[in-house]
Amino acid sequence: MDQTPNTLNYMIAGYVVLFGLPLLYVVSWLIRQRNLEKDIDVIQTIADDQKK
Amino acid sequence: MEKASRNLQILNVLTIVLLVIATALVFFYAPRERVMGDVQRIFYFHVPSAWVGFLAFLVTLVAGIAYLRTGSRGWDRVGYASVEIGLVFTVMTIVSGSIWARPAWNTWWTWDPRLTTYTILALIYVAYMMLRQGVEDPDRRARFAAVYGIVGFISVPITFFSIRWWRTIHPVVIGSSSPTAEGGFDMTSPMRLVFFFSLFTFTVLYFCFLANRLRLERLAERVEQLKARWLSA
Repeated sequence: MDQTPNTLNYMIAGYVVLFGLPLLYVVSWLIRQRNLEKDIDVIQTIADDQKK
Repeated sequence: MEKASRNLQILNVLTIVLLVIATALVFFYAPRERVMGDVQRIFYFHVPSAWVGFLAFLVTLVAGIAYLRTGSRGWDRVGYASVEIGLVFTVMTIVSGSIWARPAWNTWWTWDPRLTTYTILALIYVAYMMLRQGVEDPDRRARFAAVYGIVGFISVPITFFSIRWWRTIHPVVIGSSSPTAEGGFDMTSPMRLVFFFSLFTFTVLYFCFLANRLRLERLAERVEQLKARWLSA
């Protein structure tokens, strides 16, 4: 008789965390990168305006 | 932003391919463990996550020593990036371990020596991030962070050896467990193959993350330089 417990739900929850957290971390890089690129654009625009 | 270098692009693709293979091995090749069932498969990514956390903090230690010797800001960036990555993997380890523990130990959490030392380790490196936020002067910040990264690393071997030094219910993967350990199992050959492949994959993933995170850090530094130049003009 197979007495192995059904722990599939726990495994799914575990892998949601194990894939989800690094994915969120990568998304946070993309957001930070976008914000930094915006900062560079703003600084360069202001610097160009001042030259004029 | 500068385009990712060819080497970084290759590393990114290689990491994705390795992750796909590791995931396929975990779900389609590794046998179902008889006592715990499917939840045991968490182990294949849980242990490598913990390993990456330790590796990341080791790199911070090395970067701290290198910064104090050379004063190069590059080493400070490596230490900072590595702690950030290490913390992500440490949280992954804690949460996935807690999910595994529910069916294996019948509890989400217990103040076992491994879990306690691991929590302290996580808090030590959260404090590292807070310390950095609290110091304005970049040179002082880098110096404090380097010293903290060196001293904080003491928590890593204590956490690693806690399950070998004290009576614990946490199983030991390599070596013999404490007699009180619960949820341990003997790895069969396919299990061992999947485990070591995942360990290798996560090591590559760490270096991939570090390279990408350093690229972002260089962009942040460029913004700081532009701001400083603009303010002084």
